[in-house]
Amino acid sequence: MSGLIHRLSHSHSLVLLVYIHIAPSQEYRWIGVHRAQKQAPSLRAVPILFSQHSMASPLLLLPVLMAPVVFAAVLAFLVRPRPVRVPIKGRHVFITGGSSGIGLALARLAAAEGAHVSILARRAAQLQEARDAIRLATGVDVAIFSADVRDADAVAKAVEAAGPVDVLVCNHGVFTPQELEKQDLEEVRFMVEVNLMGTFNLIKAALPTMKQRTKVTGLPASIAIMSSQAGQVGVYGYTAYSASKFALRGLAEALQHEVIADDIHVSMIFPPDTETPGFAEEHRRRPDLTNIIAGSSGGMKADDVAKKALDGIKSSRFIVPCNFEGTMLSIATAGLSPQSSFLTALAEVLGAGFMRFMGLCFQWNWFSSIENWHSKKKGL
Amino acid sequence: MASLFFLFLLLLPFAILLLVLAAIVRPRPVRIPLKGRHVLVTGGSSGIGLALALRAAAEGARVTILARDPSRLQDARDAILLATGVDVTILAADVRDPEAVCRALEAADPVDVLVCSHGVFLPQELERQSLEEVRFMVEVNLMGTFHLIKASLPTMKQRAKESGLPASIAIVSSQAGQVGIYGYTAYSASKFGLRGLAEALQHEVIADNIHITLVFPPDTDTPGLAEGVDNCLYSDRCHTFPFPFLNAC
Repeated sequence: MSGLIHRLSHSHSLVLLVYIHIAPSQEYRWIGVHRAQKQAPSLRAVPILFSQHSMASPLLLLPVLMAPVVFAAVLAFLVRPRPVRVPIKGRHVFITGGSSGIGLALARLAAAEGAHVSILARRAAQLQEARDAIRLATGVDVAIFSADVRDADAVAKAVEAAGPVDVLVCNHGVFTPQELEKQDLEEVRFMVEVNLMGTFNLIKAALPTMKQRTKVTGLPASIAIMSSQAGQVGVYGYTAYSASKFALRGLAEALQHEVIADDIHVSMIFPPDTETPGFAEEHRRRPDLTNIIAGSSGGMKADDVAKKALDGIKSSRFIVPCNFEGTMLSIATAGLSPQSSFLTALAEVLGAGFMRFMGLCFQWNWFSSIENWHSKKKGL
Repeated sequence: MASLFFLFLLLLPFAILLLVLAAIVRPRPVRIPLKGRHVLVTGGSSGIGLALALRAAAEGARVTILARDPSRLQDARDAILLATGVDVTILAADVRDPEAVCRALEAADPVDVLVCSHGVFLPQELERQSLEEVRFMVEVNLMGTFHLIKASLPTMKQRAKESGLPASIAIVSSQAGQVGIYGYTAYSASKFGLRGLAEALQHEVIADNIHITLVFPPDTDTPGLAEGVDNCLYSDRCHTFPFPFLNAC
């Protein structure tokens, strides 16, 4: 049977090495090495759960069980910003890129939950269609605003016309994958302008009235930014896109410091490949290697992403993953990001080492794919 | 005897882990020789860039420095000549201008080691900062690096093939590119962006034996930092607070 090595480490205290061996006699045995245990030479079997013989004192078990609990309590005290609920019902939710894809799904969901929804996008016709679709699905009418997020003045006008915002969802984005060597600088600039500068324009425009609004209502507000798993790890073909999405994280981390005093909470959502018109466009352009590498993470439907996103926004989470791989990736790339959930913080602290190892395995796999692909090409 | 066995059992998992890691780490480590190779340093007329150029020259590299101001470039060249006896080539261009960057790099020899050390730094709360300043930082720090890499990549690849030696693209980021803090929305955005660029770029250029390096300095005693700090203090707009990792060095 295979053995599993668990390494638990907590600050200022013992490092426990615990081996789990499933012995031939079907008995579970814990072999623990404990600093206080003076029973050399061999390792005493410290039974837990299933075994019949109980030789070690239960006091030995106490630190093993209490340690994570104590640690979780410490984290509950430590985590910042403190978690809040951001209500959606009856509040003004402003969604960019709201006429299609994830944005449209978000708008529909928010409308169904009783929010006043405004959607912003470039094309008036598409906005109209989106409004009709939402009305059909939820009976709710959303406000539509046409502006290009790259135009700071147009954005400011649209935000002013929409009225004070409670939940700003910067969901707009463009995405053209290609090797930097082959890609036009115009396309690189396009992605940085829309994804990054567009978000700056929006936040700049909405922030003053958002701050006032939280003061008046006494309710927490939210600035949610749609990133991507490509904003957690850069892979072949994504130089510009990953650059723009990574940048959003730098923006978000700093922004959270600047707006927490005004009860505004920043959330970043990290979806995988999502079935949207945007993705269909992108998929056609993808280099082979990007397909091979990006295939490591499963795809999702826009509605499911929207649900995860909204849940994350309502829980004021800074990092919002959307699927299992995303959760693992978020632990692997937690960095110094704020974390308001002490349970997730516990997972991050305990999982850090292992997830880094997994990340290294992924890179090993990806670099091997790249090597193989190039040798095949040379072979031809 | 038993305690030795004890010790062995304790160390075994670490030893196994080390072996596994040694096998899987990618890209495989290489030495990038500097001596006799062409090192191009942007932002090379002052601060970290100038210090880098000086060191590279002292180590026997052929150095080119790129910056905006021709007179500062001259001063830098004189300083390096004085310190190392080595004459460096100077190129004047604004990294925000892709055409100027292309022209400058065409005039220069193919690059072996590209060091993107240019950067601007203006900390302020996003609510108070003008979008022009935000754009300035993103344009110089992020887009400028894209322009440089785009311009030098083709000849770098050729060069690596001809020489058979590994090449390098080094990008000077910042600890603010590892964590965003109060007042750094635009700067951290631009520096985080460089990491996304670098991670993806490494995948794209490893087959050509080009290695990406990201450098993460803390606050460094340079004219650039002084400018950024002054920008806060003069207008009393910026609230800075001590952050343990950002010590001047």
